[in-house]
Amino acid sequence: MEFGDLRIGLSRRQMLSASALGMAGVAANMSRLDLLGQPAFAEELQKQNKSVILLWLAGGASQLETWDPKPGRHTGGPFAKIQTCIPGIEISELLPKMSSRLHETAIIRSLNTKIADHGQAYELMDRGRVGEPGVHFPHLGAVIAQQLARIDSRVPDYVEMYTSTEGRRKGSAGFLGARYNPMFLTESMIPENLKRLNSIEDVDHQERSDLQRYLSQQFTRQLNHHVVDSHTTAYQRVRGLMASDHLFDIEREPQAMRDHYGPTQFGEPCLAARRLVEAGVPFVKVARAWWDSHGQNFETHRELCADLDYVMAALLDDLKQRGMLERTLVITLGEFGRTPQINGSLGRDHFASAWSCTLSGCGIRGGTVYGKTDDDGKTVVEGETNSGDLFATIFSALGIDVKQETMLGSRPIPIVDFGSEAIKEVLA
Amino acid sequence: MLLVSLSLVGLSPRMAAQEPEVGSRTQLAQAIDHEIGLQLADQNWPTAEIVNDAQYLRRVTLDLAGRIPTAKEREEFLADTAAGTEAGKREKLVDRLLASPDFAFHLRNELDILLLAQLQWNNEWRNYLLEAMQQQRPIDALVREILLPEKHRPDDKGAVAFLRQRVNNLDALTNDSSSLLFGVNIACAKCHDHPLVPDWQQDHYFGYASFFKRTFGTRRGLLAERFEGELKFTTVKGEEKRSKFMFLSGQTVEEPAITRSEDQLKTIRDQLKKAEQDDKADPPPSPEFSPREALLKLAFETSSDVKSQPLVARNFANRIWARLMGRGLVHPLDQMHSGNPPSHAALLDRLTDELIKAAYDPKPLMRGIVLSDAYARSAQWPHATPQPGPEAFAVAAPRALTPFQYSLSLWIASRNPEKLPGMTKPDDWLAVRGQWEQRSEGFARRFEIPGELFQVGVEEALLLSNNEQTERDYLASNPDMLVGHLKSINDHNQLVQMAYASVFGRAATAEEQSTIANYLTARADRADAAITQFVWALLTSAEFRFNH
Repeated sequence: MEFGDLRIGLSRRQMLSASALGMAGVAANMSRLDLLGQPAFAEELQKQNKSVILLWLAGGASQLETWDPKPGRHTGGPFAKIQTCIPGIEISELLPKMSSRLHETAIIRSLNTKIADHGQAYELMDRGRVGEPGVHFPHLGAVIAQQLARIDSRVPDYVEMYTSTEGRRKGSAGFLGARYNPMFLTESMIPENLKRLNSIEDVDHQERSDLQRYLSQQFTRQLNHHVVDSHTTAYQRVRGLMASDHLFDIEREPQAMRDHYGPTQFGEPCLAARRLVEAGVPFVKVARAWWDSHGQNFETHRELCADLDYVMAALLDDLKQRGMLERTLVITLGEFGRTPQINGSLGRDHFASAWSCTLSGCGIRGGTVYGKTDDDGKTVVEGETNSGDLFATIFSALGIDVKQETMLGSRPIPIVDFGSEAIKEVLA
Repeated sequence: MLLVSLSLVGLSPRMAAQEPEVGSRTQLAQAIDHEIGLQLADQNWPTAEIVNDAQYLRRVTLDLAGRIPTAKEREEFLADTAAGTEAGKREKLVDRLLASPDFAFHLRNELDILLLAQLQWNNEWRNYLLEAMQQQRPIDALVREILLPEKHRPDDKGAVAFLRQRVNNLDALTNDSSSLLFGVNIACAKCHDHPLVPDWQQDHYFGYASFFKRTFGTRRGLLAERFEGELKFTTVKGEEKRSKFMFLSGQTVEEPAITRSEDQLKTIRDQLKKAEQDDKADPPPSPEFSPREALLKLAFETSSDVKSQPLVARNFANRIWARLMGRGLVHPLDQMHSGNPPSHAALLDRLTDELIKAAYDPKPLMRGIVLSDAYARSAQWPHATPQPGPEAFAVAAPRALTPFQYSLSLWIASRNPEKLPGMTKPDDWLAVRGQWEQRSEGFARRFEIPGELFQVGVEEALLLSNNEQTERDYLASNPDMLVGHLKSINDHNQLVQMAYASVFGRAATAEEQSTIANYLTARADRADAAITQFVWALLTSAEFRFNH
């Protein structure tokens, strides 16, 4: 029976159940919708509901005031280090809460990524490779979305939240196609165009999208073309996405939970991130700015680290308590670290030669430290690694095959940069 | 049409090898069908049917004017019997479209997408391109202007944009210009000789990059070249090499030796530095030897392969074919090399010849393509046998509309069809088109440019579903709008047909008509809203989103 015949002229209540029918029919047909052709194991992976929350430290946090302190050295600054819950691992005293929560976290102290310019370093650390003219490499969130999201997902699959204006940069799906572009949130926590206009009633909104589907099917059933199918998929997702707007609304959380994350510019989006991930969103990036402490590095870090420590600990506790940490990978990363040398304004400048990041939760061997810098933190002396290896590690932790390639014209583009390998020491 | 495909299947290659004698106006179209037909016959493949007049009108208007036809244009075209034959009727239409002011606007938008829009929206550049197209400056002139604006477009801040947008990144200058203008993507040859293509080695990459090495942007927003500077690179074997000025074909050019004293050199360097840093500085001196001028000379005056055709001509012939047919004869478009031959080699030679013969005016080439049967095939595959691959051109590929095609078409389809002009005089049309273009820009800038792996994103679906601007621009109910017009029609069947004609450019089938009429009847309590929703559903449907 034709969709349209089924639908039109029925009562509104009958309409709603017909809608459910229609969705089932469509879902059965999903397998041919993915342009890039997903092998069976990828479908298997999608069912496991894995997710990533990326805490993006925009501007570049100092490794010396966070994960790789060097107190007592001339590069060390005024803060002490503290013993953590893992024997032998010490971090900055600015992260006291995290010091007792390292069981699920691995620290990587040996990133040497070479690029120390904000724009280019952002591209490097959010794409896992140096750019190349003419090739639009996708950002991390788009790759994760493409790997982990169901094609007909009723929730967003790549969300970015930048509440502050500094370092605000929108990710892109590049050659993976607009299907995987991020939902980008800035001033408002509710995504643009997600709310129904007052000028149309909900039932009419639903019915007109049914009508549109009928009209589109009149056309698409005669063709067999993946780009045409992507149009269908995009519109099929609209109603589901609109129904997901409550996920962004943290006022629906009990007051105690809101207090747990704190009423801050960083805490609130992180709570929203947890709500999104809980509902099946595969990738959420929450940016916290602005770490670019060329002057007054220590004042800046006293404030920002307190925030990071509080929110990151709250997030990990919450995820763990809900049983979500085994399937959620939390990454703290920025575009680079900061110079060991302290400049004349008591600041630290851009530094990409020896810096740190962390991975927690899904697929990660917690309580580990990988790599080592010298006594002053100027160079990596053990386990040097880079953005490509980090991406291979992230993908491996999530069970994503790092050997796969996308054909771009005649050229195979590997999912991670050439020669990249996962850091096995931090994988569970 | 079944007849045509059967006769093609039965044709022996030897019989078909003679190019048919026909009137000069459609010779190229015949030649295209001949070449495409040879391979179809060889493989014993049938073809899709030829589209009807209404479908052809929509397709070719989108391709030559960058928008859907208005209702009056359609009525006039369908009613046209003056041309005598079906072929004559289509020919007349194509000639009208090529002569219309629409053509320059559309070509401007196409060239912007190809050359810059993926990186930047630049009004000066867009104005420059529009003027060039309106003055019918040919493609070779355009390539000269954008690669050597100092000489060909002095003080034009639009023409410099192609290079300026990439001027701080030698790899981008190198790779984008070679891919887009010459159809040769040599990026892989930067770090090593190309792994798959013996034609392209590191020498080629750095040799070609050398032509751009001395280019810099001045503070006044223009371009200039230094008098010195060479490119060195390290081979995979670790050997350091100084690169020559070498074109993609392997041909090199020697820089004439000019001796200058250290003082003279210092003066020049100071002048150049000043121009780079100070927007009030005098225009910098030009070197006797301009690498980019040498590049252009090699690009146009030497044949780049055995075909004795410049790469730039082959590239544009292939890209024009691809834009109209949904796929290049050489595919991917930036892989023109000996290891990746065209699907129809003789045809690409012929198209390229046509472009050169027309002194790089693209119109005769485009005219020939859109008048061919290969172009006019349906996107539906009617046969029980499997559909041949896209390189057979046996069936049309649905193509996503570009941002401007989509935005302009939404604008036109959502107006009251009776208030839109038909085929008016070109002078009047210029003003109409200019206004449409302006009104469509806002939405055009929000739609994604369809690239190689394009998929419609949910962002677009949300924008058209829930944005106030969508309601205002496309669904307002005043008498100037389609919604307003439909509200004045009482008969549901008539209303449905009017809406289908305005938006899809075709009649509704009996099934569609009754389905929609039922929809409207069921909502008699809120009839106006029901019409608005019907129009929204038409405008956002897949049938409207693609050229097919």
